[in-house]
Amino acid sequence: MTLERTAVPRPTWRQRVRDPGWGLLFVLPMLVLFVIFRFVPSLGAIGMSFTDYRLSGEFSFVGAENYSRLISDDLFFDSLRVTLLYAVIYVPLTLVVSLGTATLLHHVVRGRGLFRGLLFLPYVTSFVMAGIIWIWIYQSDGLINGALDGLGLGPVPFLTGNQAMVLGSLAVVSVWKSFGYSMLILLAGLKNIPEDVMEAATLDGAGAWAKFRRITLPLLRPVIFFVLVIETIAAFQVFDTIYVMTGGGPARASYGLVYMLYDQGFRFFDFGYAATIGVMLFVVVFVISLVQRYVLDRENT
Amino acid sequence: MTTLTAPPAPAETRPAGTGRRRRRWSGANIWLTVLLILASVFTVLPFLAVFVLALSPEGAQTIPDQLPDEVTFENLSGVLSASSFLRWTLNSFVYSIVSVVVILLTAAMAGYAFARKRFPGSNALMWSFLATLMVPIQATLIPMFVLVSKMEGVNTFWGLIVPTLANSQAVFLMRQFIKGLPDDLFDAAKIDGAGEWTVFWRLVLPLTKPVLATLGIFVFLWHWNDFLWPLVIAQTDDMRTLTVGLSTLNAETVARARIMASAAISVIPCLVIFGVLQRYLVNSIATTGLKG
Repeated sequence: MTLERTAVPRPTWRQRVRDPGWGLLFVLPMLVLFVIFRFVPSLGAIGMSFTDYRLSGEFSFVGAENYSRLISDDLFFDSLRVTLLYAVIYVPLTLVVSLGTATLLHHVVRGRGLFRGLLFLPYVTSFVMAGIIWIWIYQSDGLINGALDGLGLGPVPFLTGNQAMVLGSLAVVSVWKSFGYSMLILLAGLKNIPEDVMEAATLDGAGAWAKFRRITLPLLRPVIFFVLVIETIAAFQVFDTIYVMTGGGPARASYGLVYMLYDQGFRFFDFGYAATIGVMLFVVVFVISLVQRYVLDRENT
Repeated sequence: MTTLTAPPAPAETRPAGTGRRRRRWSGANIWLTVLLILASVFTVLPFLAVFVLALSPEGAQTIPDQLPDEVTFENLSGVLSASSFLRWTLNSFVYSIVSVVVILLTAAMAGYAFARKRFPGSNALMWSFLATLMVPIQATLIPMFVLVSKMEGVNTFWGLIVPTLANSQAVFLMRQFIKGLPDDLFDAAKIDGAGEWTVFWRLVLPLTKPVLATLGIFVFLWHWNDFLWPLVIAQTDDMRTLTVGLSTLNAETVARARIMASAAISVIPCLVIFGVLQRYLVNSIATTGLKG
C-alpha cells in the first residue's frame, strides 16, 4: 500500500456525489438478497394470511377468515399462553443468572478471564446439541435424578410433569445455552460505571447491597433494558429445544407459538393459517418491545 | 481489537494512587471465587458428560452412577464411518463456509456504499434493511419456504444457503466500522487515481480485517448452529445439516452412546473456534453487539 497522508483540500460535496451509480452498484448484491428473501416474504406473509394457501400451491382469497378462525381457536390461545408462561419463567431467570455472574466476574480478583471463558462456553453450541444433552440430564436415570436417587429422592419428572415443570425445565436449558451473551453485555455495562461514584458511596458507609441497589442498578438500567428486550424476543421465538426435547408435549404442555406455526405449516400443510400465525408472532413481538420501551421510559422520568 | 462504538476507557487506565481497590485475597473474594467455581461447573459439566458418555461402552455402567470401567472409541468411530453422518458434516461445512464468504463480501460492499457513497435513497434503503431486524425469521418462514419451493430450491444447496444471506446485522456493522475510518485515506486513494474496485479491494477490505474476522466467526456459528430453516428446506437425508441430522437421530431410537458421540463430534468445530479465538470473541460481543 503506497497511500500516505498528504495535505490536500477535502473534496467538495459535489465531487463526492458525482458518481451515484457506484454506490448503488456496491449495494446491489445485498439489495437483491433483501428484496427477494426479506421484503417479498414479509409482504407475502400478510398476503398469504388472507388466503387458504395449500401445499399444492392452489389458493383462493378467503378474506379475514384465517384471523376469525385464529381468535376462536383454543389451540392458538393455549400456545400463546404457553409462550407467555415460558417467557415469564425464562426472562427473569436469565436476567438474574447473567447479572449475578457478571457481578461476580466484575469483582473477582483472580482468574476473571478463565471464569468468563468457562461461563461463556455453552453459547457456541446449538440449541439442538443443548437439547440432546439436557434430555439425558433430565431423564429418570440421568444426571440430576441419579444424584437425587443417591439421596433417596426423586425421580423428578422434568419433561413429563405438569406444565410449569416442563416449561421451567426447557427455560433452564435455554438459560444454560445463552446466558453468556447477556452476561458479557452486562459485564461491559458494569465496567462503565465510574469507580469514583462507588468509592464515594463506600466512604459514606454504604454496604455492598446498598451500593448495588442504589448505584449499580440505576446506572445499569439502559443495559438491563437492552438485555430484557433481546431476551424477551428470544423467549417468544423458542422452537429448537421444544422440537428436540418435548415435541410440544406432554399433552401440548409446551406447544408454543412458533411450534404451532411449524406444526400447522409442515405437519398439516395449512400454509395460509400458518402464515397468519406468523403475522401474529410479529405483532406480539412488536407490541412487547413497544410496551417495554414505554414502561422503561416512564420509569426514567 | 475492534472498537466500533468507542467504549469509554476502562477504569484500569486511570492514574495509580486514586484509591482503586486493592488486589488481594479477602473473605469476600473467596466467596466470589467459590460462587464462580459453582457457576462454571454448571456450564461445563454437561459438556464433560457428553464426552464421558460418548467414550463409554454401549450399555455399560457409566455416569451418573460411576465412571465407566473402560474407555472405548467405538461409538466415535462408528459415527464417523456412518455415511449419513459424514454427509451431514459436509453439508454443515458447506452451509457455514459459503455463507461466511458471501456475507462478508456482500456486507462489506453494502457497508462501504452506505458509509462512503451517497446515492438516491441510500438512507431509506439503510433503514429498510434495519427494519427487517424487527421481523422474526419465524414470522416469514412460510412465505420464504413457498418462494424457495416455487424456485425449485427445496433439497438444494442454494435453497439452503441463499435465503439466509440477507443479513442486516452484518451490513450495519460494516457500515459503522467503515464510517469510522479516516477520510484522508479515501481522499488520498482518489488522488492517486485508484478506481472504485481498487479502493474496495486494496483499501476497504484490508482495513476492515479485524471486523471481518469477528463477523466471520459469528456468521459461522450462526449457520453451524442454525436449525429451523435447514429443517424445513432439507427434507432428504443427504441434504440435512448436522443439527437437523442430530434431531432425527434423537427422534429415532438410536443408542444413547451413539447419539452422544454424534453430539460430541458436532460440537468440536465450535469448541475449536472457541478455544482459539475465545478472547477475541468475548471482547467483540461488548463492542459490536452482534447477536445470533
